[in-house]
Amino acid sequence: MSSIWKESGTLAARFWEKGILEDCPVYDMHGHMGPHDSIYFKRCSAEDMVAHLRRIGVRRFVFSHDQALAGLMRNEQVVEICKQFPDILRMYISVNPHFSENIKEDLAKYDQWKPYVAGLKFLADYHEVPVTDKAYEYAWKFADERGIPVLNHTWGTSPYNGGKVMYEAISRYPNAKTFLGHCIFGEWDYAAKCVNDFDNVYLELTAVPGERNRIEKLLEATSSKKILLGTDLPWFDEYQAVGGVLSAKISDEEKRDILYRNAQEIFGDDK
Amino acid sequence: MEDIFFFDANARVGFDNHRRGASAAELLADMDYYGIEKALVRSRCTGCSGAVIGNEQITKVISADNTGRLTGVWCVLPSQCDDMPEPDDFFAAMKKNNISAITFEPFEHRYVPCRLTMGKIFGAAIERKVPVLLNAFEGKWDELYRFMAEFPELTCIFSAGHKWGTDRNVRPLLENYPNCRVELAGYWIPEGIADLAKIYGADRLLYGSSFPKYNHGNGMFQLKHSTLSDQEIALIAGKNLENLLKGAEL
Repeated sequence: MSSIWKESGTLAARFWEKGILEDCPVYDMHGHMGPHDSIYFKRCSAEDMVAHLRRIGVRRFVFSHDQALAGLMRNEQVVEICKQFPDILRMYISVNPHFSENIKEDLAKYDQWKPYVAGLKFLADYHEVPVTDKAYEYAWKFADERGIPVLNHTWGTSPYNGGKVMYEAISRYPNAKTFLGHCIFGEWDYAAKCVNDFDNVYLELTAVPGERNRIEKLLEATSSKKILLGTDLPWFDEYQAVGGVLSAKISDEEKRDILYRNAQEIFGDDK
Repeated sequence: MEDIFFFDANARVGFDNHRRGASAAELLADMDYYGIEKALVRSRCTGCSGAVIGNEQITKVISADNTGRLTGVWCVLPSQCDDMPEPDDFFAAMKKNNISAITFEPFEHRYVPCRLTMGKIFGAAIERKVPVLLNAFEGKWDELYRFMAEFPELTCIFSAGHKWGTDRNVRPLLENYPNCRVELAGYWIPEGIADLAKIYGADRLLYGSSFPKYNHGNGMFQLKHSTLSDQEIALIAGKNLENLLKGAEL
């Protein structure tokens, strides 16, 4: 029977057949690494994850190590992990508001850690501190002054990183490139409002691909130029997430924007 | 390109009292779009309108489906009340109406899922190898574990059903209950499908979409590139469910 997987020459059909496309790299802008208390991970080491990433043609995987987010590992150690796979791994500096002394120390090394460092990561829901709290101020200002990415874990109605809180934070720091991880899942209108009211805000898709018609609706409300792919790997399979984008009822050009073009623009010379 | 036969083990049609859901026509349109040959469908309104109304609705959907691509699921209730026929009559009516599997909604329909309430109908289902869909337990692992301990021989399909990884709950069920299968909508663990197939056998895994919550395509793509052999993919995509339904003695 006919299907999107058989429409000759399309991204979906070509990816379906080959599983990897040279002319369509994947940039995964939301990853993790290392063990986590709430889930069984068979493949959470750099070696195992990179093997999975290479299979589908991920060009850049930008991650925050779960142990660094927990405060049990320093970001400097994550840089060393990136150096083992310099062609693919990039990192966010994990910002844990409960370890404020580490934040200044690590951000002072931001330039030294290039090209491995690609931005900052806030995980406010898990640290239970709103992103508008003073504890994040130094990191936000740092990102705002430099115009660098801040990937925020966001979730609808959260008092720490829900729509209202994120809108307030973006208003304060409009020059930072704010990535709304999970697209403020559930508060879709707020996610669109954040993107449409500010120039430097992007929606990041982790946990969204596969939700029926959701990518289509996000595109209608915003633009394919403002959406980035993410997976939470090692939480989610790359093929599931890329399959969710390929499955969306949008054009191939829009799929390319999401899978790599927007990220390449953000990466600049390091693309 | 050789076709893979996909048979969706997890789809619902109709609408609830918040008008949430999707019609059978929408399901068939999506099946065409993604290349899904067949779907096992439950009624969306069973939760709010009850099993009897839900079964009537799904029967209408199946009888109106002139494509023959939809197979129905009926919902059952405790045998002590008289809103369901005796098992023999119930299964005969299923066969007559092209209904191939059963499900139940103990939490929506407010009863305890155990042998006291469901022993009669599920005892008969075990004898006849009629598949029982356990979607009602999605995310309710405590309750599902208690239920499975009461009906260890049940031919059943439970849902892996949570994006954020359920191996710690899925694997013990596959290990201990040989007649249970796991349906994979929402099972997004990296290369996890291949891991489960290698440990428990590809014949224990079923493709499902969870339509209309999810689309069909993401799970199809994940399975296609799961690293399993073509034969194993074919089993999971559709043959396992087809064989399971054929094995039911209605």
